[in-house]
This record gives sequence, structure tokens and C-alpha cells, in this order.
Amino acid sequence: MATLKFEGLKKRYGAVEVLHDINLDVADGELISLVGASGCGKSTLLRMVAGLEDISGGQLILNDRVINDVAPKSRDIAMVFQNYALYPHKTVAENMGFSLKLRSVPRAEIDTAVRRAADLLGLTPYLDRYPKALSGGQRQRVAMGRAIVREPEVFLFDEPLSNLDATLRVQMRSEIRALQMRLGTTSLYVTHDQLEAMTMSDRIVVLNGGWIEQVGTPVEIYDTPRNIFVAQFIGSPKMNLIEGVVTSEGVMVGDTLLPIAAPRAAGTPLIVGIRPEHLSLGVEGPGALPMVLEALEMTGAETHVYGTIAGAQGIMTHAGRLSGAPGDKLWLTNPSEIYHLFDKETGLRLD
Amino acid sequence: MSWKAVSNPILSIAKAFAVLLLVIWSLGPIYWAFATSVTPSNEIISKSLRLWPAHATLEHYAKLLGAASTAHGNEVQSVWPQFRAAMINSIVTSGLATIVTVAIAAFGAYAFVRLRFPGRNILFALVVATMAIPAYTVMIPLYRLMISLNLIDTYLGITLIYVSAFLPLALWLMRTVYEAMPLSLEEAAWLDGAGRLYTLVAIVLPLAAPGLIAAAILTFLNAWGQFIVPLVFSPTLASKSLTVLIPEFATRSNIDYGLMNAAGILAIIPPVALVIFLNRYLVSGLMAGAQK
Repeated sequence: MATLKFEGLKKRYGAVEVLHDINLDVADGELISLVGASGCGKSTLLRMVAGLEDISGGQLILNDRVINDVAPKSRDIAMVFQNYALYPHKTVAENMGFSLKLRSVPRAEIDTAVRRAADLLGLTPYLDRYPKALSGGQRQRVAMGRAIVREPEVFLFDEPLSNLDATLRVQMRSEIRALQMRLGTTSLYVTHDQLEAMTMSDRIVVLNGGWIEQVGTPVEIYDTPRNIFVAQFIGSPKMNLIEGVVTSEGVMVGDTLLPIAAPRAAGTPLIVGIRPEHLSLGVEGPGALPMVLEALEMTGAETHVYGTIAGAQGIMTHAGRLSGAPGDKLWLTNPSEIYHLFDKETGLRLD
Repeated sequence: MSWKAVSNPILSIAKAFAVLLLVIWSLGPIYWAFATSVTPSNEIISKSLRLWPAHATLEHYAKLLGAASTAHGNEVQSVWPQFRAAMINSIVTSGLATIVTVAIAAFGAYAFVRLRFPGRNILFALVVATMAIPAYTVMIPLYRLMISLNLIDTYLGITLIYVSAFLPLALWLMRTVYEAMPLSLEEAAWLDGAGRLYTLVAIVLPLAAPGLIAAAILTFLNAWGQFIVPLVFSPTLASKSLTVLIPEFATRSNIDYGLMNAAGILAIIPPVALVIFLNRYLVSGLMAGAQK
């Protein structure tokens, strides 16, 4: 049982504040992903929870106890590092049992705990090996094993999959999630990969420039991004953003009138967001957006169509194959009629 | 076939020649000392130059190691007691200096790399800068200091001087070693529940072993070869080293080349043995497997 609470957390390096007023409640057993571009402060925030970075302001509360100044070794928090940080001079078993050995747990108990964790992770055949004799995926598992063996209050993951190849990444993604749900350990997961965040998390925290942009379940974040940053950061390919103007009948985008009931007065400029997968090929007519084709990217199941949509750089995903040449003119419709509207000045969602 | 594998006969010959030159350059003097050490005294001072003596002899070694020996037909006193005392002195002072220097460097360099304290870089620069001070400029003040501390002609005095002289280099070396180590290993240990000191001893030092051994070898060889310091601070056999004793075999009336070279050859053995022994632990790639 562990709950984690951030109350106005701040991080300063000298005069530069890199994390501003971070507020977040992590429920027991929850997996929360921290996502954002590099330099947004997500790793710093994680390291503050671990105790590897000082906290410049605010309170970090673990189970109703402020742990701002508690040393890392006394926090009972385990972390999986991006580069795994295995002890190269210790075997897999010794790596995994190190934390228990430090707690003076009897040898027999350590053995049992290590074996159980190794079983769970499929590492039993490798217990006597040294890290250098393991593949990348196995090392990643050892790093996981080291974290789970001592049953900590909180797991921290710092981009644990970024050094694995694509296939292994997908596999480990579901393994980590399954393991975390099975153990029910409260977890924070830092990643720059929005797909990882979407697939693994109970909730996602989107960070940008040291501010929390939005906190929500993957579906909430995807369906109702709070602002332009979140809208573009979550979702691949990125959401199209096209400038438009509110009229009495809808929103005028270029020469196309989209049937949107905008909560703003006529004449107000705003930004219309359309997910690439909501667009489909259509014919010229009311509500159809003109697209000038620039490039096609065939991914297998679908084709990414790049070009200018109503004058703005944009992209649509077409289920299936498509052929065309740069300069071709297409007409796009949005049968789902799902539009995201953002204020042109503030970038905030209009709802 | 890569371009490297293309053989150029002239280049190969030139390379072989360069290697040969280097080998002769470094091993030649040692060979010469050895050849001289087994040459009878009368042959040593003969006019004809020979690469190997016509009548090889162990008389110089006998004189060095035996209870008594004959030279030029006369019974002479063996120098074994002096040689043995100086050998022990050299081993003790070099060994102590090595242990103390490496121990301080192991912990001190870690502090310079991982602990944040004001003046950290300036302090380190100052320590390293002391390497630029020539030994003879501090010899007289150091001598006065040692007299007032009653440390002249003691192991402690010599060791302290060696440590102060060789520590900066060892510190520098160890700092480089620690700087190259990923911090995440230590962070992982802290999160596993280890304190700073335990992390240093259980995680960092084993991985820094190649650096520690390199520092040990450097310090030992430096101390073993010291001449000026023992010459000044070790007036008697209480702490006199081999480097000072051996030249004393040259007296006003007679320079005993054979004896000096025999002693020199024996003096090479401890450092060579140490390097061969430590070399086994000087394996690279200790860090393999720590990261991705």
C-alpha cells in the first residue's frame, strides 16, 4: 500500500527553475506515466522522488509522510534505470539480491525471493551469469528483477525500454504492465514514447517546459487534449492544426465551412484540430477540405499522406494503399465529425 | 579485404625495424648490466669490447650474497648484510608508500569527483600543481622539517615524503577513472539501500581495480627508483635504499663494476615481480555489462 503526493514541487538549478509547482496524487497501485519532450523535467521529477535530486520547494509525501529530506536508501523506492545500471562484477542473483543483503535478510530468504523473481521474469537459467553474458532484453529483466525482489513501496522507471529494439520493446511493454498489475505496486514511468504511455498507464502526466500540461487517463488525454501541446504530443501521426474563423453556420477553414458549433462569437479566429485517422478521402463538396499531396508513406497496414490541408501542413492516415504524385489534389472529409477547437491566443481547448 | 590488410613490404620492414630499435633501446641496458655482472673483474676493464664474457662467472653474485668471497686473490668481506638491509629498506618504504598513496587516492579522488564542496576544483588544481615543483627546491626546508620532527632516517619519514610526492599523480589518475564510471551504478546502490561508504567499497572500488592497480604500479616504481630523497634523508642503513647503496660500491680507489651490476640486476627483480603479479588483475572490460 503506497500513495504518493506531490504538493507544489519545485526544482531549481541555481536561478533557473526547471520544474514549477508540480501537483499530483498517485493512488495506491496506480501506474502513472510522465511524458514530454526531452528537457521537460520528467526525469528530474522522477529522480526527485528517488531522492537522487534535491527538492527545491514544495512537499513530496509518501503515505502521509513528507520525505523531502529522506535519504534514497531509506525511502524504500526501487528504480529501473535507462541504462540498467547492473553491477557488472556481481552475478544476476547477486544483483537481484543486493538490496536484501543490505537489509541483513537471511541467506535462505534472499535465495527464495531471488528465485521467485527470476521465475516471474524467466531469468532462472541465468542466475549465475554476469551481466556481460546477457542480451539487452535479459539485462533489462535483471534490472526489473532487482527492483521487484525487495517489494518496495514504489517503482520508478526511467525510460527502461529505450535501449531495446522495437520488437522487444513491444513485448517488454506488456510484460512490465502485467507484472506491475500483478504486484500492485504504485509506479511512476518516465518515457518520451507516447505509445508506451498510452498502452501502459492508468493515467498520463504530460509535462512541457517544467509545467504539467495535463493529467488524465490515456483516453481522456487522447480524446480531450487540454491544449495544443498535448494535442500534438499525444497521437502518432500528430494531430492536424488548421487556423479557422467562427461564422454563424460553423467554422470557416480556408474556403471550407466545417459544421462545428463553436462556443465563440462569429468572427473569432481559432485553431481546429483534426486527428489524421479521422480524415478520409472524399469528393469536392460541402465540408470537404482540399489537400495538395506532397508525399506518401506506406507503413503496411495504412498509408500516411503528407501535404497541405487548407493551406496548413498536415497529414492524414488512409487505411490501405494509395497511389499519387506530389501536387495531386485530394479532397478530405471527416465523417466522424470529431473536431478539437483551441483558442488561437492561449492554445487552450475550447469546450 | 580492408585497406589495413594490404601489405606493403617496405612498410613492414620499417615497422619491424622500429620495433627492434625500441626493444634494443629498452632492454639493451638491462642486458648490458647482466652481461657485466657475470664478467670477471679483469675482463671488465679489458680493452676489447665483448657482448658476452669469454669466461662467465658468478663471482660478483657470490660477493653480494655470500658470507665471504675472493677478489683478485684476496679474501674480502661480503656486502650481503648491507645489500640485504638496503633491499628490505627499499621494499618497505616503496611498499608502504604504495599502500598509503593508493588508499588515500582511492578515497580522495572519489571525494573530488562525487562530493560537491566549495573550492573543489581549486583544491584539486593545487594538489596537482604540486607535481610541477622540482624536488630540489623543497629539499632544504623539507630536511629541516624532518629534523624537527625527528623523522630523518626513519621509514615513516621516507614514506611520508614519497606519499606527498606521488599522491597527486595517483589522485589524478583515480579521478579520471571515477569520472569515467556511470553515476547510475552508485545511484542504483543507494536506492538498493547502501550508504555512500558502502557503495564506494562494494560497488565502486571493485570496478576501479584496474585504475587502482595502475596507480599502485606507478607509485611503487617511482618510489623504488628514488635516489635524491633517500640520499638526503637516509644517511644510514636504518632506512637507506638500494638506489643509494649500489653507487657506494664505487670507492675512491676502486669502482667495482661487476658488483654494482650484479646488485642492479637483483634490484630489478622486486619491481618486475610486482608488475607481473599485478598485471593479472589489470584486466580491461570490467565495466562490460553494466549498461544497456
